[in-house]
Amino acid sequence: MSETSFSVLGIFDTPNSLMAAIPKLRATKLGTVEAYTPYPIHGIDDALGLRKSPLGGMVLVMGILGALTAFGFEYWISAVDYPIITGGKAAGSWEAFIPIMFEVTVLFATFTAGLGMLLLLNKLPFFGHPVLSAKAITSITRDRYVLALEAESEAFDSQAAVAALQAAGATDIEVLPAPDRSPFLTSDYILRTLGGIFVACLVAGLGIFTLTKWFPLLRPMVNMQDQPRLNAQKPSSFFKDGHGMQRPVAGTVARGHLPTATGKQEEAASLVNPLPRTKEVFEVGRKAYHNRCEVCHGAIGNGVGSLTAAYGGKPANLQAQQFRDYPDGKIYWAIVNGKNAMPSHAADLTDAQRWSVVHYVRALQRAQNAKDEDLKVVAP
Amino acid sequence: MRPDIAIPEGLLEPALTVGTVTPGSLDDQVLAFPETLPPRQWYIGITITLSALFIGLGFIGYTFYKGIGAWGNSSPVFWAFDIINFVFWVGIGHAGTLISAILFLFRKRWRNAIARFAEAMTIFAVICAVIFPLIHVGRPWVAFWLFPYPNQRALWTNFRSPLLWDVFAVNTYFSVSLMFWYLGLIPDIASMRDRTKSKLRKTIYTVLAVGWRGAATHWQHYEKAYLLLAGLATGLVLSVHSVVSFDFATSVVPGWHMTIFPPYFVAGAIFAGFSMVVMVLVVVRETMQLKNLITMRHLDVMNKVILAMSCIMGYSYMMEGFTAWYSMNEYLHHGFMNIITGTYGWAGWLTISCNIFIPQILWFKKARTSYFWMIFVAIGVTIGMWFERFVIIVISLHQDYLPSAWRVYVPTMTDFGILLGTFGIFFTLVLLFARVLPVIATTEVKAILPGAQPSHHGDDHHV
Repeated sequence: MSETSFSVLGIFDTPNSLMAAIPKLRATKLGTVEAYTPYPIHGIDDALGLRKSPLGGMVLVMGILGALTAFGFEYWISAVDYPIITGGKAAGSWEAFIPIMFEVTVLFATFTAGLGMLLLLNKLPFFGHPVLSAKAITSITRDRYVLALEAESEAFDSQAAVAALQAAGATDIEVLPAPDRSPFLTSDYILRTLGGIFVACLVAGLGIFTLTKWFPLLRPMVNMQDQPRLNAQKPSSFFKDGHGMQRPVAGTVARGHLPTATGKQEEAASLVNPLPRTKEVFEVGRKAYHNRCEVCHGAIGNGVGSLTAAYGGKPANLQAQQFRDYPDGKIYWAIVNGKNAMPSHAADLTDAQRWSVVHYVRALQRAQNAKDEDLKVVAP
Repeated sequence: MRPDIAIPEGLLEPALTVGTVTPGSLDDQVLAFPETLPPRQWYIGITITLSALFIGLGFIGYTFYKGIGAWGNSSPVFWAFDIINFVFWVGIGHAGTLISAILFLFRKRWRNAIARFAEAMTIFAVICAVIFPLIHVGRPWVAFWLFPYPNQRALWTNFRSPLLWDVFAVNTYFSVSLMFWYLGLIPDIASMRDRTKSKLRKTIYTVLAVGWRGAATHWQHYEKAYLLLAGLATGLVLSVHSVVSFDFATSVVPGWHMTIFPPYFVAGAIFAGFSMVVMVLVVVRETMQLKNLITMRHLDVMNKVILAMSCIMGYSYMMEGFTAWYSMNEYLHHGFMNIITGTYGWAGWLTISCNIFIPQILWFKKARTSYFWMIFVAIGVTIGMWFERFVIIVISLHQDYLPSAWRVYVPTMTDFGILLGTFGIFFTLVLLFARVLPVIATTEVKAILPGAQPSHHGDDHHV
């Protein structure tokens, strides 16, 4: 025979005759003895001398790994990345993690048991095994018990195997040819496969492109975007004027912005600075003056600011006698309404800041025109 | 077992099958169903279940269109039919895992004949159960937000919430049940692959059987995996309904905040599940002529389990009353009085009657082996267990701490329509399963037939 045989199958009718034949066949040492049965037979793994299944250890390791994975994941999220206190528990309190740790342990363990058995230990799915194409397979999965002598090397003697199986009491014998081992990964096969994948991608891509052109993609969540609300810059049929955004009611005053010093500058002369002359108020005034006034009026209020040189403007020299004689109210009025080229600072400074600036300007004026008595006042 | 020791007749395990069953005749009987056209009753049955299914789908569609407002849920009863039905269906699933895993560990060989159907019912029941949380979130298309995954919103789930534990528990339960079921099916599908004459079937079964060839080296790992899966599924099944009960027990609502909830829920789940299995098995046994494989003894034993669970439920109900009295907590007291005398007092008494009183008939062997009485009890228990969840959820919620917020809950047509729909889904899947896959685990039954195991292996190999 030119073709080598892979194995010889001997069919037995009862589990007892199968079990009785196993030691006899193992003694011949013709090849590996394997049994094919419709259901698991008790004691056959010992009879065939199979090693204990390592599945238990694998499952144990993966189960522990599952518990640790779940704990690490939960702890990292709850205590490190997103620590939010719920129920008054510390972020890292682990007791609440136990149910999920248990579930993940079981998940890891069962998938290791199931898939580890199928894929790793049994090397399934595998559709090319010679027994699957044997005549005997219909009996194996039904009600017959098969012992196989499988070739371990090229020197497999199928004639001797047939004789040994017959001697062991097999009611029927089948010789299986070696499977076709010609390589199927030819360049033609690879090219056709790649071509197929390319065409499939092309068709899918074009299909989705066309579909989304015809049927614009439905956004999965529109609840937050498309709600019946007014957008500030959008038209609206709700109001008579058709605008989404409405002007405030006439006479509306923002909190903390009660209008003061609205008339002429002379009318404001009677206003009295409500703030006391404290260190804090002067500090507020100094800061506001530094931010808003100093560029034009200068650090000491003499009207020589940094902008003056650049633009040739003529800001008021607050050290001039005219301004030293001004009542507080008129300076305040100028801050609120602006004067000549000076713009209003009402929007930039709160009422308290304006009055603080007034105090500070007074301090600057007094500092530049200090008298001997001032020294005495300061001295303790 | 050593043959030289005489065992009294009464201690011997009764025969697992009736009449002569050989591995070959078993295949011809069980695996022939997918190869033949179903009888007329099957078409009538599936017409009814499909109608129910489409009614349910219609109401689910209406819910999506209208929003959750289509249901009766309203303050303070924010949880109602959705959670009742969820707990109800998850509970029904538990019987399958109990039969396939726990009874396997106890080496109860009679379980082999009914394990496949019970496992299938587990999977279908869990499918029905997960529908409810999914549609209750209001936007089921973003239900994946339930899982902790890195996202643009920089948010993580709250691992202290029992609702998240539920997500993990139910998903694990479904995956594990599916794997358990499929691994059990592989050798049976291999049998179908090798006996079918149709080319299309052969292709499908070849793929599904993943090239199973019954090698002893494979069986060795397979049995180990099955044992491990059974052990893991046992812990899992106890954990799943415990976690479901945590949804309630970890809150502060009077009537929910009780330590008895986890075991009480697990017992209730097995109770309801076994009733459903008995109901379906009686129909399967009669219409598919499986009387020789699913014997009266199976039904008798399952009815005994139902009776035992009924007694545990009775104890739990009494403990609820005792806790309410002994705690001297007026809210708890009010909650318990509400169950027996309140607006929904009829539901409370219906629950107690169906779950405690009616199953007591099963103390009589005549009732345990009579179709009429076992179906009567099973339907009673199914109704009773549904109403038990109604009692726990609606009665506890509709009157809690704040009397100004009390309100009577009334379900809408949509609530009932979706419930009907899940029954349609469940029984449609059961009917389809009965015709396309082996309804009895032939491989497992072959292994326990008389003469299936070598008679003397104990002397030869276990020295």
